[in-house]
Amino acid sequence: MAEVLFSRPDDDIMLSYLHYYSKELVKISNELGHQTIDKEKEDANKRVITSIILKQKPKLIMFNGHGSPEEICGHKKEVIISAKENAGILKGAIVYALSCASALTLGPKSVKEGTICFVGYDFDFALGKDRDSEASPKHDKLARLFLKPSNTLFANLLNKKDVKTSVEKAKKEMQDNIDYLHTTDSIPDAIYYAPYLFSNRLGLITHGDSSASIN
Amino acid sequence: MKEESKVIEDIKKEIALERLRQAPLTVNISFGSNGKFMNRDELIEQVEKNTELGKRIVNIQIEYLRAFKKGITISSNG
Repeated sequence: MAEVLFSRPDDDIMLSYLHYYSKELVKISNELGHQTIDKEKEDANKRVITSIILKQKPKLIMFNGHGSPEEICGHKKEVIISAKENAGILKGAIVYALSCASALTLGPKSVKEGTICFVGYDFDFALGKDRDSEASPKHDKLARLFLKPSNTLFANLLNKKDVKTSVEKAKKEMQDNIDYLHTTDSIPDAIYYAPYLFSNRLGLITHGDSSASIN
Repeated sequence: MKEESKVIEDIKKEIALERLRQAPLTVNISFGSNGKFMNRDELIEQVEKNTELGKRIVNIQIEYLRAFKKGITISSNG
């Protein structure tokens, strides 16, 4: 079984949604018997995460967090991986970055330095929030439409599917959810959120070997 | 040529603003770079001020309209 690393900061509302949804992935990873390393909240910092990557060389890494074209951040927006400084430490891994725009520059740079495949977004990842949910990820039907496809992607990777298949399944689910936003009455003002989910779908890209899996 | 491109960008911006104005105030969207959720008027403000995020919002609205015009058969092209 593979070693899988999660970096899951939780220090603002958006990150609390990502943190909540990725909890399910940590559970799946454990159930599948992977050696799962879950660094959440304040442990999702540069010192801890880079040390684990260097020592244990996980085959699959999921980063939640804020980001930019050149960076992935952790707790309190501390930069964990930077195209200018340490993209090379991802060598040998499949990486999924649920982190804004990091597939734009950091993605190709890390692949050049040995990352097997970098999956991420080349735009800012958008998240809709139901006005009635009081920022409770558990009860937010709208946020679920944005975040469940991301979970589908990573759950497929955990199940040893290749990157290409995993991304295709996530995109299909995003499209189904866009169609749902056009027609449903069960979420207030659903149709106004469709362009932003469409943007996530458009921005989800891969760099490197998309035939790779953690087999 | 530069002038023509400026006119096109202004038209795109107006189209995006008009679409944003149709939404209710309570629309609640976050773009992950800052973690803050924005309502309709805050989205409009980003576009009006031509911030990087505002430009991105214009692109989102225009790309979406283009896809919609094509019948949003976007699921079959990757």
